[in-house]
Amino acid sequence: MTPERFHQIVEAYGADPRRWPQQERAAAQGWADAHRAQADAYLAEAAELDTWLAADHVALPDAALQQRIIGSAPRRRPAAPRHAWWWSGAAVAGIGLLGGAAGALAVSFFVLTETVPPMHESSYLTSSFGGSSADWSGE
Amino acid sequence: MCVEGCGLLSERDPDAELLEQVGRQDPAAVRTLVARKLPRLLAVATRMLGDRMEAEDVAQEVFVRIWKQATRWREGEAKFDTWIHRVALNLCYDRLRGRREDPGDDLPDEVDPAPPPDARLEARARGERVREALAALPARQREALVLTYYQEMSNTDAAALMGVTVDALESLLARARRNLRAQLADSGLSKDKS
Repeated sequence: MTPERFHQIVEAYGADPRRWPQQERAAAQGWADAHRAQADAYLAEAAELDTWLAADHVALPDAALQQRIIGSAPRRRPAAPRHAWWWSGAAVAGIGLLGGAAGALAVSFFVLTETVPPMHESSYLTSSFGGSSADWSGE
Repeated sequence: MCVEGCGLLSERDPDAELLEQVGRQDPAAVRTLVARKLPRLLAVATRMLGDRMEAEDVAQEVFVRIWKQATRWREGEAKFDTWIHRVALNLCYDRLRGRREDPGDDLPDEVDPAPPPDARLEARARGERVREALAALPARQREALVLTYYQEMSNTDAAALMGVTVDALESLLARARRNLRAQLADSGLSKDKS
């Protein structure tokens, strides 16, 4: 560390060693300790400006600005509950399977018996004056 | 304070995880990111522009760009904090050019040396005088000082952000401080020091 470099550091970064370049900080502080009077002259001038700079405060953002910005963010669409979707799918699949099983059972029954089961005659095919329409077909 | 050595890309970006959550549109992550970054963005824009309303507009615009980039952000190319500062500064320079302020390195104007009217307003008056002196600096000097002093960036991060060498950054900083000292001396730098 040279006097010139120490002066450059203080001129650029101010009097607070925490703001000095990390890789030169220890050397600069060592030089200042070894040359107290010269260092203090540089540091005093810089510290005065540091005090001024520290007087400038920017007010924190207000709640309205924060809300406007948060409101500008894209929103995730609420996802449908996964379990409801699963249940509805399972219900459709179950009904389909039951229908298929019932159909297969009926077909297998007709094939095995080869007879059409007697059907109950609907009332609209009969009258109070005669038998069923099936009787007339034999006349 | 993060002055030096915290800008190494080999380290994990402290904002990376939060940004991933923002990319997944997590509302809590959005709120956290706004709370974490808005004060910094507002500070840098306010000091660069000297106008609170314009600074708020800039901060909002930066967040619009963050929302667009969040899903595409790739860690390791640049620190997120550095990137948002670059976006904010670009927006500030657009506005400064609109005002016809030369972003070069010319000499500053004089600051009004009028003393504060009331002792109770002394602290505020000191802050206003600093703000006026900052506003009168050439934009590049102001940028260097704002990034290193107020935003507490390392010299390497600030230099990279400004696209200059560390030597050039130090030159800008030294000139900024000399100009500020000259302006504030006119308004009583020594005798007003508390």
